Amino acid sequence: MNSLQEVWSKRFNHYMLEVQKYMRFVFTGHIALVLVFVIGAVGYQYSEWLKVVANTFPAEWLVAIIVGFLLALSRPVTLLRDPDQVYLLPLESKMPAYFRSALRWTFWSQIGLVAIIYIVGIPLLKAVTELTPQQIWLSLAIIIILKYLNVHIEFNYRYANRGASLIIDRITRGLLSILTVQSALTEGYSYVVIFIILLFVYNRTLAKRVKVQPIPYEHFVKVEQNRMMAFYRFANYFTDVPHLHGSIRRRGWLNFIYSIVPYSQKSAQSYLVYRTFIRTDDHFYLWVRLTVISGLIALFVNMPVVTWVVAAALAFATTIQLKYALLSSGDFRMDRLYPVEPAQRKNAVRKVLRLFVVIQAIIVMLCDIGQPMFFVTGIIIIVIGEFTFQMTKDPSIEY
Amino acid sequence: MTVLQLTDVTGGYTRKPVIKELSFTIGEGELVGLIGLNGAGKSTTIKHIIGTLMPQKGEIRLNGVTLNEDLDKYRSSFSYIPETPVLYDELTLKEHLELTAMAYGIDEHTLASRSQSLLKEFRMEKRLNWFPSHFSKGMRQKVMIMCAFLVNPQLYIIDEPFVGLDPLGIQSLLDQMDEKKRDGASILMSTHILSTAEKHCDRIILLHEGQVRAQGTMNDLRRAFQMPNATLDDLYIAMTKEQDNE
Repeated sequence: MNSLQEVWSKRFNHYMLEVQKYMRFVFTGHIALVLVFVIGAVGYQYSEWLKVVANTFPAEWLVAIIVGFLLALSRPVTLLRDPDQVYLLPLESKMPAYFRSALRWTFWSQIGLVAIIYIVGIPLLKAVTELTPQQIWLSLAIIIILKYLNVHIEFNYRYANRGASLIIDRITRGLLSILTVQSALTEGYSYVVIFIILLFVYNRTLAKRVKVQPIPYEHFVKVEQNRMMAFYRFANYFTDVPHLHGSIRRRGWLNFIYSIVPYSQKSAQSYLVYRTFIRTDDHFYLWVRLTVISGLIALFVNMPVVTWVVAAALAFATTIQLKYALLSSGDFRMDRLYPVEPAQRKNAVRKVLRLFVVIQAIIVMLCDIGQPMFFVTGIIIIVIGEFTFQMTKDPSIEY
Repeated sequence: MTVLQLTDVTGGYTRKPVIKELSFTIGEGELVGLIGLNGAGKSTTIKHIIGTLMPQKGEIRLNGVTLNEDLDKYRSSFSYIPETPVLYDELTLKEHLELTAMAYGIDEHTLASRSQSLLKEFRMEKRLNWFPSHFSKGMRQKVMIMCAFLVNPQLYIIDEPFVGLDPLGIQSLLDQMDEKKRDGASILMSTHILSTAEKHCDRIILLHEGQVRAQGTMNDLRRAFQMPNATLDDLYIAMTKEQDNE
């Protein structure tokens, strides 16, 4: 490798490919469809609420607190890896160039979320305050400057303190960011200048400490690993991420369910699948999450058609994702050698899913009980669940 | 009586075979050692016998049937202890034993009595409700061993059994193997611990580049290599040198 700039670009390309590979599944998944519905419903309620919102509503503070809180979370994306602590050690003096590229990417990749949240808040600001459009857009420019400072300060703070007591830094920056945005939205521009100068000085002080410190590789590598792990866990809700093994919890309070499996050779796979489903966090929480979303929609959206569509989409998502998770054959397992019917596994998975789809239907129906046709929701969930299991392909390989 | 019979078995993961025209038999009450260098084809041979790989040519008969002729009979006739323990993270030790017993059609009474003595033998009574994540490598291996012996089949297939076990564990395993042998069960064991193999195996199969280089009792092997009084270590090294000279 000629320069560290090149190291960064190579890593960055590799990282983007990895992200794209999984994001494809996320955006073509069923959750995307549900999100469209949820965003639509929430947007509709928001616009209705804006028509009646009182003039005394503290819009400036609300926007400032949400935006300031998000600004404080500016975790650096360094793409450092474990072996770097050995192989990049001789290049320590050239690393600032690498980190400049890293911070540029951190800034651009994180500014979007803050900007969108602020833009969503603009109709509220227009409805409640008397800010001119120029003033509203000036505040956005100030938020962008704040983001730039936050990204650099968090990086320098982590660097100078090797990751220790980050919470102090985050609270400090969070408060300063909130006050700056609030001042900007209430036309206190002299305060804005003072707060920004404070943040700037804070950054300079940290930067001086950074210059005399060795790179805290261990901390940055850990931050990277946690970040990638979180991404893979997220992607795992939509597709199968290899080598990602979910954690296991006993969930003893559900032990009573196992007693429905009789002791017999015919039930060996049921014995296993019930426990796999209930004790594997990935599987169990997937079901909990989708059931909760479906229930909340039934509870708060008073349009039966929306409830039905969402319930159907989520019953489909529950069944197909769990079917794949429980039936696809990855690594070797001992049950491949059991002297039992090869179809036993599939039948066991069918039984477990049928039970938990029925429970989902009951929960969502209870949430929907205020509606005259609430029983239709339950019927839809059960029928879609059953239909999905029958009609989708079997991911297991026959031995 | 022949328990396991391989006839001209050729196979591997791809078109290019790893094992070539392999033929050997294992009789009732026999402990046979499968010995070979890394990459000689020991694990591939075992995968063909347990049926996770199908032979490209040739035939494997266990208790008189092939896997395709009678899947249930074939699979009930053996138990397998893999080189690396394969456990269910979501099952406790007790549940591993219960699941195995259910899958092999063992009644609850037999399960209770067999597992009690196995747990005692391998000193795992106090860990019944533990999940595998809390087990050391040796304990994981013990869970596999207990599940295999719980089944009480005609043939035991054991891949590298001594790696990771403490000396007491090794002794317990050897005792169990001796006991099962006396009852008429057969054992196929692949290992690199040659002194143990030499001491305990009735016959040795030396695999070399996917083929049987020599097989028989220690005396048969000494004759084949023309090395009277040689230990299995000596024979193994002689085979290595043979490979280097090629």
